This record gives sequence, structure tokens and C-alpha cells, in this order.
Amino acid sequence: MTVFSRDHRVIGRQYFYLSLVAVLAGTVLSLVMRFHLVNPDAYGITPELYLSLMTMHGTIMVFFVLTTAPQNAFGNLILPRQIGAERMAFPTLNMLSFWTTVLSLVVMSAAFLAQGGGPLSGWTAYPPLSAVGAIAGPGQGMGQTLWLVSIAIFCLASVMSAMNFIATVIDFRTVELMAMPLTCWNWFVTAILMLLAFSVLLPACMLLLLDRVGGTSFFLPAGLLVGDQLLTAKSGGSPLLWQHLFWFFGHPEVYIAILPGMGIVSHVLSVYSKRPVFGYKAMVYSSIAIAVLGLLVWGHHMFISGINPYSTMAFSVLTMAIGVPSAVKTFNWILTLWGGQIMFAPAMLFALGFVSMFVTGGMTGLFLAQPILDQYFHDTYFVVAHFHIIMAVAAIFGIFAATYHWAPEVLGAAMHAGLGKWHFYLTFIGCYAIFLPMHFVGIAGNPRRYSDFTTFQFLAPLMPIHRWITWSAYATAGAQMLFLLNMVMTWRKKKQ
Amino acid sequence: MDRKASLTGLFVLMCASVMTFTAIVSALVVRRGLGHDFQAMPLPWILWPNTAMLLLSSVLLDLARRQLRRNHRISFNWLWGAGTLLGAGFLAGQIVAWRQLGEAGVYLASNASHSFFYVLTWTHAAHAAGGLLALLFVAWKAFRFELGPSRRTAVEVSTFFWHFLDVLWLFLMLIIHHYAA
Repeated sequence: MTVFSRDHRVIGRQYFYLSLVAVLAGTVLSLVMRFHLVNPDAYGITPELYLSLMTMHGTIMVFFVLTTAPQNAFGNLILPRQIGAERMAFPTLNMLSFWTTVLSLVVMSAAFLAQGGGPLSGWTAYPPLSAVGAIAGPGQGMGQTLWLVSIAIFCLASVMSAMNFIATVIDFRTVELMAMPLTCWNWFVTAILMLLAFSVLLPACMLLLLDRVGGTSFFLPAGLLVGDQLLTAKSGGSPLLWQHLFWFFGHPEVYIAILPGMGIVSHVLSVYSKRPVFGYKAMVYSSIAIAVLGLLVWGHHMFISGINPYSTMAFSVLTMAIGVPSAVKTFNWILTLWGGQIMFAPAMLFALGFVSMFVTGGMTGLFLAQPILDQYFHDTYFVVAHFHIIMAVAAIFGIFAATYHWAPEVLGAAMHAGLGKWHFYLTFIGCYAIFLPMHFVGIAGNPRRYSDFTTFQFLAPLMPIHRWITWSAYATAGAQMLFLLNMVMTWRKKKQ
Repeated sequence: MDRKASLTGLFVLMCASVMTFTAIVSALVVRRGLGHDFQAMPLPWILWPNTAMLLLSSVLLDLARRQLRRNHRISFNWLWGAGTLLGAGFLAGQIVAWRQLGEAGVYLASNASHSFFYVLTWTHAAHAAGGLLALLFVAWKAFRFELGPSRRTAVEVSTFFWHFLDVLWLFLMLIIHHYAA
């Protein structure tokens, strides 16, 4: 296996292992955060360091795991063969896209270790604090600048990857579009979303970077008082402008993470129940509908940012409308299983787990889509629970389903089924044990992004729940050792 | 080079560029509406001959492309070389424009309208620099006589991209004229 290979299968595996490294790093960061939340006085983790851990956790997981593994890893490995193509359309661009992603991860790691502290503005990097530089406090200096540079590089990599997927599907397929497997349909739709979303995030990062280092005021209003300094050189900018540009990317990003999983799950459910996918056309159209609607709902992240109440209503209605194609998919998955000869292999279990997580996370989405309810839920653990279940856990279950199903492609041999089942049951129970209670603390008003709850009297009764969540996180992370062990066993089996 | 996929790839790339410029122009429109601090800026005179140079380079490149289809390789080489030279001239002219603005006291940070002028023209110049690399690559192949009617994908892809840069530039001139100047 050459390092700078142009072979899509090698590049797919490279993406897979890059995501594996990223997911391990992201998980360790989350465990340190959970440890700190229930032991706030131990090891001297400052609030700034906590926020930095949170920022890195979110960024690494969203960009280098959820965007990278389902689309680029499995898309490269599986898509050409499923559409009858010998290779991807642009092999050199494919290789460049992977190594640009690596470069982006290297810069992101440098951001975490930068002098003055790692970036701490969260994965959304809201101005004004993210735009004024080191005077905003620790982590807002070089760390934040490098964070923006890394994301800009990642945007370039994603656009290159999207070009490759789109051209491959359009020009290299030997099957009719409406006979293409649902996996390929979803990779195709995701590539279009990636193209449209990342090409907007790139200029947004550029403008924010110029606000930081070029003295401009795109996102900075006049008379801003940061710390005890009045910023006189800035005028007329709007922090809301960043939110519009960021969320125009940010919301489709959710679907970039989950649409490939939907394709994988449709395929896996069909294979292990020995039934064709129920309602193929409806599945295709619902993927397209989800993508189109996904581009039109960015405003629901800004309900309390002070946007026009009439526009919140439009964003709210459009957001709830996504429930329709989502329900079409869920019913079709259930009807695919109906009357089938179901084999509970690990891939099938994770696909079923995906459906469960998708329904649970989708239901809470309906609450958050109401502007009036979001007034209360915004910035509470209810939101954290919602997006982790729908975006993170569901997408990760899709990745696990794909890994178990296509293990011979990814690892060179089939994985151990018994260990895989234990891995599923423990992970499934563990994820609900972590994220279901988070809804309750969120309903009780527990804010997110706080590094220490013990100083607030009204949060004291919630601490036992937080301890439960932390222990569940330890246990669930521990259960992932079964997956790693299974991978090692599979490599050894391949060598024999 | 796969011909169909290359043209599809070009179309997809142009969609991405359109999104990028739409984002910046939307930011300009919103920022101008919110800020009330936009100052008019003097447009450097060189932008006009520069525009003419870009359009003329596009015309020459397209004539070259047509010559290659008829297998007139020598005239293709001359036309392509001239078009590429004018393309490089456009980029050099942009650098002169930025210098002229600097001398007139118009900097990136001096006003929001100036910031947007620089951002839009830099982004366009980045695209043009990529396009110029493609033109030079084709020129290198052309002068080795490696191209012909059946080997013209790189020629067409880079010509169409250059035409796209024309349209983009005219649009930007319109926007700059309306909002900044």
C-alpha cells in the first residue's frame, strides 16, 4: 500500500484510519470533560481548558469523523464497485483531497497546542469573541487563528472530494440512476450538499480570519467593549452575519453526517432481512427532499439570536417539514424488515440501532423546531442530547454497521460476530444511558458549556444524574475496546 | 483524461465558485444594509483596460480552441500563447490596481466597502491564478505538439473556466460599481 496512492480502495482505507485516530482523540477529550464535570476540583482543569477540550471534541468529531468516515471512507471503498465503475473519476484529486484533510487535522492539532491556549469558541466559533483576537482571553489568539485556517483547508478538501463523487456518479456509472443502490444515491446527494455547504463556509472563514488579522470589521460592531478595552477601530459589522453564513453550512453538515448512514442502513437492513428495500423510489426522493430542506432551515439555530419573528416561523415550518421525508424513511425501513428472514448479525444490529437513534433524536428535534420552546431549551443539555443522538450516535452506528458489513473490504477479513454483538448491546445501552438523562437535566434548565455546575444552587439536585452520565460514558467508551480488539483479531486472522 | 468527467468536474467546480461568490456578495449586501458606514471608493483606472484584457484573452483562447478542432496546430499555439499572455497580464494588472488603491489610501481595513473590494478581487484573482496554471499547462503541452482534435479536453476545460472567470469578473465589476464605488 503506497502512501500517496491514487487507488480509491487504498484512499478509502486511509480515510477510515484517519477517522479512527480522530474518533479515539475525540472520545478521550469527551471523557476528560465528563470527568471534570463531576470532579471540578481535580487536576486543575481551568474553565478555559474545559472550553478548549469541548471545542476540539466538537470540531474533531464533526469534521474528521462524521464528515470523513461515512462519506469519504466508505464512499471510496464501496461506491465505484456498486455503480460498476473501475475507479473514481479523478484519482489524483482523490489523493490530494485525502492529504489536504490530513494537513487540516495537523493544523487543528497545532491549534490545540498553540501558545496562549487552544481555541475555545466551540465548533461554531461565534464572533465577536472569536473575531477580536487575544484580547478576548486565553485561547482566542493563535489557537483560534489556526482553528480557522484548519477549517478553511478542510473546506478545500471537502470540495475536492465532492467534485470526485459527483463526477464519478454522473459519468462513470454503468447502471441507470433509478437502479443505483441507495448507498450510492445517498453518497451522491451528500456530495452535492458538501459542495454547496463547504463552498460557503470557506469564504466565511476567510472573512472571520480577516477580522482577526486584517483589521476589517465584517462581524464586529462599533463600540465593542471586550474585557476592559473599547475597540475603537471596528465599526458597523454584524455578528449575526457570521451566524447566517456559518449555519448555512452548519445545518446541511448535519445531513452530510447522517445521509450516508441512511444509505448504508437501507442496504444492510435489506441484506440481513433477505428482502429488497421497501419503496425504493420513495427512499430516493426522501433523501433528495431531506437535502433540499436541509439547505433552507439554517435559521432554526438562530431563534434566540434576535432574527425577525416572521422568519423564525418560516424556518420553524420548514424544519418540521423535514419530519415528513424522515418518517417516509423510517416506515420504509420497518416495512423492509416486515416478513423478512432477519439475521441478527452485528451489522444488522447496528443498523437497527441507527433506526432507533434516528427516531429518538428526530422526536426531540420537533420540540427544538418550535421557536417558543427553543427559547427555553436553547443552550441547555436538551440540545446536547438531541444533536448527539441524531447526528453523532446515529451516524457512528451507521459507520459501525458499514465496518462490520464491509469488514473484508476495510480490514481484509470478516470480523468476529460474537464480539460484535456484545459491542452492539453494550454501546446501544450505553448511548441511551448517557444521552436520555441529558434530556432531563436540560428540561430542568441545566446550561451547556459550563465547566462547573457545583457553584449553582439550582443545579445541585442534578449532580447525581451527571455522575450517572459520566459513569455511563466511561462504560460506553470501555465497550469500544471490544471493537478495537475485534479489529486487531481481524488483522491477525488476515495475516494467517 | 476522461473527457465527460472532466467537463462534469468543471461544471461542479463552477457551482462551488458561484456559491463562494454568492456568499461574499450576500455578506456585502447584508453588511451594507446594517452598517451605515459604507464609504465610496475611487475605482483605479487600470480596472477598465484590465477588463478589456481579460475579455480579449478569452476571445483569443476560444479562437485557439476552434483552431485546434480543425487541427490547425500552429495557429492554435500562437493564439493560445497570446491568450495566456493576456491572462497573465490581467493578473499583473490586478496587482497594479491594488497598489494604486494603496497609494490612494484605500486599504483592506480602511472601510467596509474597501474590505469587500479587496476580498472579492482577491478571491477572483485566486481563481484566475488557478486558471492561469491550467492555461500554462496546456501551453506547455501545445508547444510540444501533444494536443490535437482528439486530445483537446484540457484545452476545452481551461477555456470554459476562463470564460467563467470573465462572466464572474463582469458581475463583480457591476457589484463593486453599484455598492462600493
